[in-house]
Amino acid sequence: MELTVYEEIVRIAIVSPKSRLDAFAAPELRERLETLLAGTNRLVIDLSAVPFIDSAGMAVLVSAMKRARQAGGDVRLVWPTDDAARRILYLTKFDRVFVMADTVEAATKEF
Amino acid sequence: MRIALVTTFPPGGGSLNEYAFHVVRSLRQKPEVSEVLLLVDELPAGQSYPPDDETPGLAPLRYRPCWRFETLGNALRIRRMVRQLQPDALLFNIQFASFGRGKLAGALGLAAPLLAKTLGLPVVVLLHNLMDTVDLKSAGFTGNPLVERVIRAAGTLATRLLLRADLVAVTMPKYVELLEGRYGATNAILAPHGAFDEGVLPPTFELPPGPLRILTFGKFGTYKKVDTLIEAFQLLAKRSADPLELVIAGTDSPNTPGYLASVQERYNHVAGLRFTGYVPEEAVAPLFHEAAMVVIPYTSTTGSSGVLHQAGRSGRAVVLPRLGDLADLIAEEGYSGVFFEPENAWSLAEAMAKLIDDPTYRQELAQRNYAAARGLPMSDVVDWYLLHFQTLLHQRAPAPAIAQPDVALAKPQVALTKPQSAQSRK
Repeated sequence: MELTVYEEIVRIAIVSPKSRLDAFAAPELRERLETLLAGTNRLVIDLSAVPFIDSAGMAVLVSAMKRARQAGGDVRLVWPTDDAARRILYLTKFDRVFVMADTVEAATKEF
Repeated sequence: MRIALVTTFPPGGGSLNEYAFHVVRSLRQKPEVSEVLLLVDELPAGQSYPPDDETPGLAPLRYRPCWRFETLGNALRIRRMVRQLQPDALLFNIQFASFGRGKLAGALGLAAPLLAKTLGLPVVVLLHNLMDTVDLKSAGFTGNPLVERVIRAAGTLATRLLLRADLVAVTMPKYVELLEGRYGATNAILAPHGAFDEGVLPPTFELPPGPLRILTFGKFGTYKKVDTLIEAFQLLAKRSADPLELVIAGTDSPNTPGYLASVQERYNHVAGLRFTGYVPEEAVAPLFHEAAMVVIPYTSTTGSSGVLHQAGRSGRAVVLPRLGDLADLIAEEGYSGVFFEPENAWSLAEAMAKLIDDPTYRQELAQRNYAAARGLPMSDVVDWYLLHFQTLLHQRAPAPAIAQPDVALAKPQVALTKPQSAQSRK
């Protein structure tokens, strides 16, 4: 029997920030995500422990998603648990644009 | 993507022209944008827009004047132009008085997004203010309570018309909540103002040589008044050993022609007072760089503040009135400033003195504002609009169109999570 077997390994980077994503934290996160996106185009950003996200923090997530999608990948988000962090996702309606998940496992499953 | 933008635009002097200028500069640099069509207002006799710009490396920019301030047929004319040009997406950069300070012209113009949407393309309205939050008296609309009630009712109707667009973008979080709470809107989104990031040199945070300059910038006369600022400047000048200069940069609001000339005449005895008149775009950033501080002398607000964002991008400390929208903006976007009581010259003089007397504090605020501005440049904000347009286009597109490069970013959302009810939001 002629059989071809190959293995496909999908590389997903999982990032779990633990502090506020605001104008002052945004540049460092942006830099870290850009470095990661140089190695993979699939990112899961676990926001469950993030207490607050403002517009600048949201902008970093959007930039990462844009870059990942341009490279054929995506950025998926795990919902923050804190209302102060969830608010920006509702206000911007980016919860309708990002693929959102309740857990890291759910976010990685469909990649 | 071919994007049409209904707006005022330099050299036109209408409200929001500078904002449009920066949006367009960013739009033209985006690889997914193939053409920018400006549906601008017709200029007065003797003025004209520059020729269409096809600079290599940028999306071509084409000017299509098709509406006129204070006329009644703007909505129909804009729709006709959109039908003729057939862009992929349409963005309105407007506020409630964009199409006229006359109530009828202003209101009828606001039907333009609804009429354009009947052509089938995605329509997003960037609405810089909400009638519900505008102090009509301070903003120069009316002081008559009965007329105010009529205007408010018309404003409610106009807001409902605007909400018929695919999305209505507002620059303040509380505006989204107001549209959702009062109008039941599900298509209101937050799209922050963003900092103008083009052509601005990194700030030095050091004071330039010469007199210490206090800058105010805007279209003055309605809720942006300089009288209290000049009074405060006089108080400050009396107690300051160093030479001071107050630079009043900008023009009259279209609603109050002659205001600055009358101020200039009234205060012509005040030393160190300089009126610049209209400031062309290329001169705006240097003007901010030369200032020691920027004062925002509003008596009420109608949304976010371009001046605050420009001050931040230029690394300048700001002095601003303790007013709802501005205080919210400071809290939401990470800016800092020294507050004063609106229309109180002593309070304003004291606030400015704080920055003069304590250069370390002034620099600290300037650096914080610069960091806040860098956190959300206009280029990022434009990406937000493009992403929303791509999502809307994706929702409209037949299946094969998904493979088109310019909609490739708009992936459908996969339901990996339980939907959140509106009631669960806080």
